[in-house]
Amino acid sequence: MKSVKPIAAAVLLTLLGASFSASAYDADWKRGRIYYRSVCTSCHVAMPVGSINPSTKTMAEWSSYIQADKHAKGKDTVKQYVSKSYRASIKSANKAAEKFAEVPDQELLDDIKAFLIKGAKDGEAPASCS
Amino acid sequence: MGLNSLRQSAGCVLAVLLYLFSVSALAVDEPKPLKLTTTADHSKFKELQREFQSGPEVTKACLTCHTEAAGQIHRTKHWKWEHLNPDSGQTLGKKHILNNFCISIASNYSACTSCHIGYGWKDANFDFSVKENVDCLVCHDTTGIYKKPPGLAGNPVIKDMELPPGSGKIVKGIDITKVAQKVGKSSRDTCGACHFFGGGGDAVKHGDLDSSMAAPDRELDVHMDATGLDFTCATCHKTSSHDVAGSRYTPTAMDKGGAHIRGKEDNSNPATCVSCHGNGPHKKEERLNQHATKVACQTCHIPAFARGGVATKMNWDWSTAGERDAEGKQVVRKDDKGRVIYESRKGTFTLGENVKPEYFWFNGDVNYTLVTDKIEKSEGVIRINWLGGSPTDGKSLIWPVKVFRGSQPFDPINKTLVKPHTAGNDDTGYWKNLVWDKAVEAGMKDAGLPFSGQVDFVKTEMFWPITHMVAPKENALACVECHSKNGRLTGIQGVYIPGRDANKLIDTIGWGIALLALLGSLGHGLMLIAARRKHQGE
Repeated sequence: MKSVKPIAAAVLLTLLGASFSASAYDADWKRGRIYYRSVCTSCHVAMPVGSINPSTKTMAEWSSYIQADKHAKGKDTVKQYVSKSYRASIKSANKAAEKFAEVPDQELLDDIKAFLIKGAKDGEAPASCS
Repeated sequence: MGLNSLRQSAGCVLAVLLYLFSVSALAVDEPKPLKLTTTADHSKFKELQREFQSGPEVTKACLTCHTEAAGQIHRTKHWKWEHLNPDSGQTLGKKHILNNFCISIASNYSACTSCHIGYGWKDANFDFSVKENVDCLVCHDTTGIYKKPPGLAGNPVIKDMELPPGSGKIVKGIDITKVAQKVGKSSRDTCGACHFFGGGGDAVKHGDLDSSMAAPDRELDVHMDATGLDFTCATCHKTSSHDVAGSRYTPTAMDKGGAHIRGKEDNSNPATCVSCHGNGPHKKEERLNQHATKVACQTCHIPAFARGGVATKMNWDWSTAGERDAEGKQVVRKDDKGRVIYESRKGTFTLGENVKPEYFWFNGDVNYTLVTDKIEKSEGVIRINWLGGSPTDGKSLIWPVKVFRGSQPFDPINKTLVKPHTAGNDDTGYWKNLVWDKAVEAGMKDAGLPFSGQVDFVKTEMFWPITHMVAPKENALACVECHSKNGRLTGIQGVYIPGRDANKLIDTIGWGIALLALLGSLGHGLMLIAARRKHQGE
């Protein structure tokens, strides 16, 4: 039983290491703004749902949305539309996807989240889509 | 060593290995996050590792390393809001001139200086020599949260406060320490925080600078395209010792100097098209380069302004201000798109999107009607500023211009324009009490100028050369836009424009000669054919 402690410590340390490395990234809200407007909005305006201003949700709502990772009411994921593979699939017709083709998925997701949190209804600078 | 000790040791080793593996795995899969736009992470500087309570406190910390920065700023027009035009001798700058949108800063300092790169300019006694009054953050913020609301004399809100006082509206304080620790290069957002909102709101003054330019696409601005070239303002407006190149008071209308070359000393304006593109930018069509000797690049390459979805004010009529509803309250009216077209405190607005510019010969001279100049209402429209230029001076090109028209208060006895006290939560502020004579009296007193006590209104114009929102070349003007009757250059005199200036007699003679030449050629050909057949028959 006692041997479980070091193993647990190992797992905790591993998670700490991973989270430390992840949290070291200083999200770039401007890059998030470009991707959100050029990829998310440009697709949404062509769909029945229309564009979604960051300022239509609160910071908590955007955090929950990103955390839940459910796009189109759970039909697919948010991460899917930020992934390198998705960017590769649209980059011939979308300059933002082309420009950020090699940005790591998590960094780009963090960038978008930073823009949405900053531009939320109760954020530091409520923002629109355009 | 017991079995348990061995197990514990093995567990510890496993923990360390797993940790190292997790870190190294991340390092292999994902590139290490790194700021690529700066060589310094300001959050690591001890001078900035403290809680700041005011803007000047931050500046003091900045100056411990950037020892000469404040002195450099103090020499600029961004700081002084003053410019002596060496050609006309006029003392210009926001501190002195008036305009036909928000009119003047005199007596309205606390509101207007929210766009000053300093702290505390609340009245005419502001001390321009104090280093700590320089606002480093307004230009170097990268967080996008730094704001200086009107009414606070250029100070940001550090702690939540009611603004305006008594309004019940709470403005949240910003984390100025976070802003200070994340400073970086200026950007479209930092310049745009003021220049997109010139005249008191988004797209009010300029037709070619508004919030849509913060992250524009290629169609809106081929240089600033956020997914393409991604120019910042400073890419063109090259800055030296904190002095930003380019001026609305002494612009460069014609640049004969060619492209700037590294290593070659060149003190000419780096913000012109020519300073990058040279004097012969059209590689495939020499005829277009010939056009560039008479036509500014902007004329063809900015087919319209206010193209980003934000309407610009084209007309501001102060004479209709002052309405109250049945309850005595101020009135706001909007158009079918929800845009404000009337406010009791400001009057009536005419808005425009995708506006075709007007065109004028322009040689770089800009003159102003100052508040001390005599005007006559009977003269018709008073030009607050006007552009010099002619087709024959050798210095002028045909430029696209936003003409901002309006009607504004003047003193019919002293025959001068006036500087009213508009902003302010006091008894004389027009925006609060809607009483012109009180407002003008207070404003003119603050400016040290005479006022007769009477207020009338006069029509005015201001001229703003258009130079941003450069469209992709495929969207540049087509020939027919100008080379046609009633085309864009209908009002331009002193130059022959084929298509526009067609003369019926000359055209008839020309076409007649062409027809005769054609008939001659055909006749000659027929005669040759007939001669050959005759020769073959023989």
